[in-house]
Amino acid sequence: MVRRCRDGDFKAFDQLVVRYQKPVFNAALRMLRNPEDARDVAQTVFLKVFEHLEQYDLNLKFYSWIYRITLNESINALGRLRPSEAISGNEIDQRPGLEQQVESQQMSRAIEQALTRIQPDHRAVIVLRHFLHLGYQDMGEILELPEKTVKSRLYTARQLLRDALLEDGVC
Amino acid sequence: MTEAAHLALIHASIDGELDEHQRSELAGHLLANPDFRALRDGLREVCAALDGMVAVEPPQDLRAGILQGLPPMAEKPQQARRAMRWSAPLLRYAAIFAGALIAGTILYAARVGRGPDATEVSGTMAGSGARAPNVVDTVRLDLAQVGGQVSLYRADAGFGLELQLIASAPVDVLVASGEQTLRISGLGRPDSPDGARTTVALPGVGQHGQTVGLTFLVAGRKVGAATLTVPAGR
Repeated sequence: MVRRCRDGDFKAFDQLVVRYQKPVFNAALRMLRNPEDARDVAQTVFLKVFEHLEQYDLNLKFYSWIYRITLNESINALGRLRPSEAISGNEIDQRPGLEQQVESQQMSRAIEQALTRIQPDHRAVIVLRHFLHLGYQDMGEILELPEKTVKSRLYTARQLLRDALLEDGVC
Repeated sequence: MTEAAHLALIHASIDGELDEHQRSELAGHLLANPDFRALRDGLREVCAALDGMVAVEPPQDLRAGILQGLPPMAEKPQQARRAMRWSAPLLRYAAIFAGALIAGTILYAARVGRGPDATEVSGTMAGSGARAPNVVDTVRLDLAQVGGQVSLYRADAGFGLELQLIASAPVDVLVASGEQTLRISGLGRPDSPDGARTTVALPGVGQHGQTVGLTFLVAGRKVGAATLTVPAGR
């Protein structure tokens, strides 16, 4: 499919969008919390993929590449947003239909809030491991870090997340 | 074993990566240390909650927004690459041909002498054949539902339109020039037969200052309009 995209096949690119829009949007949403910002990031990600498809090394996993772009764009977006925008309010919670999609509403909401209080680097490993369900090798490829460092960062991130939840009286 | 090492064992157990020896090591430490057990339970709870969070469906119009946001000259990289692919051998053949021609000319001149003056053969060359289309006016589209561009070009056979549209739904274009109206249907889809580019001839267009009106329709509803103009002079 990626080869066909590189040959200028719009249909193949459309299929690529269909396949990856959900994980890309969700990764951005978990990083940013705001659905509108996540949507902007998702659009930027696919535009970058389209523009730089020629530079993509076909020997690498495509999802590693697109998730790397997603995390980088999300972190860039976090830098542009004012802190109050990134963590403000209950925008997600108020959107109809969203709450119905989570198994434990209170816990999910608490986690969403707690995630915004840990550093983006730590948030990124949580997103890769627990929302995109990737293994350490893939995470290392995406983050361009050794597996050992990835593990260490993930352990710290989980601990920080738990601490944040404890502060909120959740755990 | 250090506290950090035991903590790593907790995380490894959450990830299901412990071997038998590590499992018993961790079990022993947990039995002897209630605080450590509470930490393990807390981390387990957090990770279970994280894993249990259901993925959110992206906005329904995200896909359309992505496709519409692509650059209008989207097929350019392919063409450029195709040109690159062909240019190297072509250049090689051209160089060989040019070399043979020069060598032949030198040999001929040496054997026969100078030919007639250049002015004596003027007017004997054949016509240049079909020229590349000459774009005279272009409009770029950044509508909510349709993106891309439409160009009015001049070719040997007359004027024509080149449409490069990107849209999430089929686009119909009404082309009005003079008293004629032409309808082009089903443009802009990624799976359209000719990709995103379509060209149509516009017979009757050619007067300086003449305008070509474009109306864009999606599902029969007008979503935008534009005008192209034949410029005065060449």
